[in-house]
Amino acid sequence: MSTTLEAGRGRGQQPPTPPPPPSPPAGGALRRSADWARRAPLLPALVFTIIVTQLPFVVTLIVSFMDWNAYYPDERGFAGLRNYASVLTDVNMRRAILVTVVLTAVVVLVSLLLGMGIALLLDRKFRGRGVVRTMMITPFLIVPVAAALLWKHALFNPEYGLLNGMLTTVWRLFGSDSPPQPDWITAAPLVSVEVALIWQWTPFMMLILLAGLQSRPLDVIEAAHIDGATNWQIFRYMTFPHLRRYLELGGLLGSIYIVQNFDAVFTITSGGLGTANLPYVIYQTFYQAHDYGRASAAGVVVVIGTIAIATFALRTVSTLFQEENAR
Amino acid sequence: MASVTYDRASRIYPGSEKPAVDALDLQIADGEFLVLVGPSGCGKSTSLRMLAGLEDIDRGAIRIGDRDVTHLKSKDRDIAMVFQSYALYPHMTVGDNMGFALKIAGVSKDEITKRVAGAAKILDLEPFLDRKPKALSGGQRQRVAMGRAIVRSPQVFLMDEPLSNLDAKLRVQTRTQIAALQRRLATTTVYVTHDQVEAMTMGDRVAVLRAGILEQCDTPLRLYQEPANVFVAGFIGSPGMNIADFRLEDGQAVLGRARLPLTTAALTALSKENADHVVVGFRPESLDLVTEQVAGAFPVDVGVVEELGSDAFLHGSLPELRQDAGPLGETIVARVDPARPPAKGERVYLRIQQGKEHLFSPSTGLRLPT
Repeated sequence: MSTTLEAGRGRGQQPPTPPPPPSPPAGGALRRSADWARRAPLLPALVFTIIVTQLPFVVTLIVSFMDWNAYYPDERGFAGLRNYASVLTDVNMRRAILVTVVLTAVVVLVSLLLGMGIALLLDRKFRGRGVVRTMMITPFLIVPVAAALLWKHALFNPEYGLLNGMLTTVWRLFGSDSPPQPDWITAAPLVSVEVALIWQWTPFMMLILLAGLQSRPLDVIEAAHIDGATNWQIFRYMTFPHLRRYLELGGLLGSIYIVQNFDAVFTITSGGLGTANLPYVIYQTFYQAHDYGRASAAGVVVVIGTIAIATFALRTVSTLFQEENAR
Repeated sequence: MASVTYDRASRIYPGSEKPAVDALDLQIADGEFLVLVGPSGCGKSTSLRMLAGLEDIDRGAIRIGDRDVTHLKSKDRDIAMVFQSYALYPHMTVGDNMGFALKIAGVSKDEITKRVAGAAKILDLEPFLDRKPKALSGGQRQRVAMGRAIVRSPQVFLMDEPLSNLDAKLRVQTRTQIAALQRRLATTTVYVTHDQVEAMTMGDRVAVLRAGILEQCDTPLRLYQEPANVFVAGFIGSPGMNIADFRLEDGQAVLGRARLPLTTAALTALSKENADHVVVGFRPESLDLVTEQVAGAFPVDVGVVEELGSDAFLHGSLPELRQDAGPLGETIVARVDPARPPAKGERVYLRIQQGKEHLFSPSTGLRLPT
């Protein structure tokens, strides 16, 4: 094997003299048709995927450069960058961008932290670990709309919600008949949405981080113990750097999904009280204002934002860890 | 520097009745190089991990110097370990790997740099200090693992089959380097291996374990020349000792045409046991190629001849004994003159050199006087 490699390298250094490696002239066409025989059955799926995923995006991109409002059918035409200008200058749109950023950042960071804590607890051996793990995952399995409804009605509702019910019970224990009964969603609308999303996304982060924890090489941890590291130092110098990739992955996937979140905002607050994020505003522009051009432009902004967040998150986290290791 | 004492230390894994290490009694002197050797599953690695604090000690005690470390955590035992897989910290550079223990211990940066540089010089690792482990070859990684241990100047080095992932040539080279390094540092070392050549060449003393029980602990030469029982006799030496059941007849041990006169001491010991047969062991080099007429000579059909240049080993079978050859089975190994090796399929005659046989009790397997 190595000798052939050597020979190949030698040939590269003195190109003119030896002939190029012989390629089978008759076999070429034959192999090409064989390749196609293998690929052809895949074509329908490929075409279908392109039609379903790529064409809508291209159409959105085209529409985003057009004046196209269903209420003004006569004014349809090329708009240049006008839609983008209005998306980026409109106060509501700018606010929606800010809300999206805050919502995504808070939900991803908090659910990563909680997920890591729970993953560390679940990494130990105890009776019923399998059952507990399955139960911890269930929030992620619930349909997003159902989860949002659950939080809105079963938990946050000021009249019959679980939170206020608990407050009543606790206050009664201490003999008080006038427990506080806050209207959670009105008092802290964005936090309410965030809490519901964190509840749903923590299991996802936990799963990824648990997989990371369980792929830690045991002998390295043992070596660190022998080198005198305490449990905290092992976490700090061994476990955490090892989890780096998994944290990146969780943060990245979480950001991409939560930037696009619509269900929770729509269900819990209907975008009111300053909780409208970009997807919700797009929905409003498209289905209520019927301004397809502006909605498409906002949609393209979301895609660009998602790509930016993904890239930015990846860069920061990597450099952070590189500095960490350099020390 | 310190001595190490296993005081009837046992390890019983949860869910198992049988101890993995059973009442191990072992004294390792200050500065000694002790090798734990045995077949896989014999408890040698477990014994080492008990000393490292990676396995609980269920009964008995372990002491390092005068300190009872039985219930101490690994980090408080002042030991360093080289793992079979090396267990290098993958996200740290070679330098950081070697300095990690010192950093944890709060040693100043200058001091760490100095000590890491010192160790790197000893181990020829200076050009690699800024590399990550994955950019190193197997041999270099092995040296980093060694470096990580010596930087700390611990009281005891523990090594768990550190050479088993190296190729054969590098293994022989590194073997001598480790032995030389240990002599130079004079740090008490416990070394686990399944390779009896490593055990023989490296250890001041070698402890042979089987099924959690210490069979014999002695210098390599004594293990070879005076194995305490049949197991040690068969385990030490390569190729292994020929071991067979011989009948007792008129003060002689007899197997087919092979005859061995026995000493009075051996006969007395055997008569005490009322034995009518005896286990006889003889090393491949204790056999002479002779002619048929010589007394005690027995025929052997040559199966294979391994020619190693300096030696040649004849693997043959005894034509007279197809069935009941006992532990010897059908094959016998003899060292023959490499200049004139017998041909395959030839029938030759062998004789056991006088006084070179080992006798073992058929009931207990223990060594008998010869």
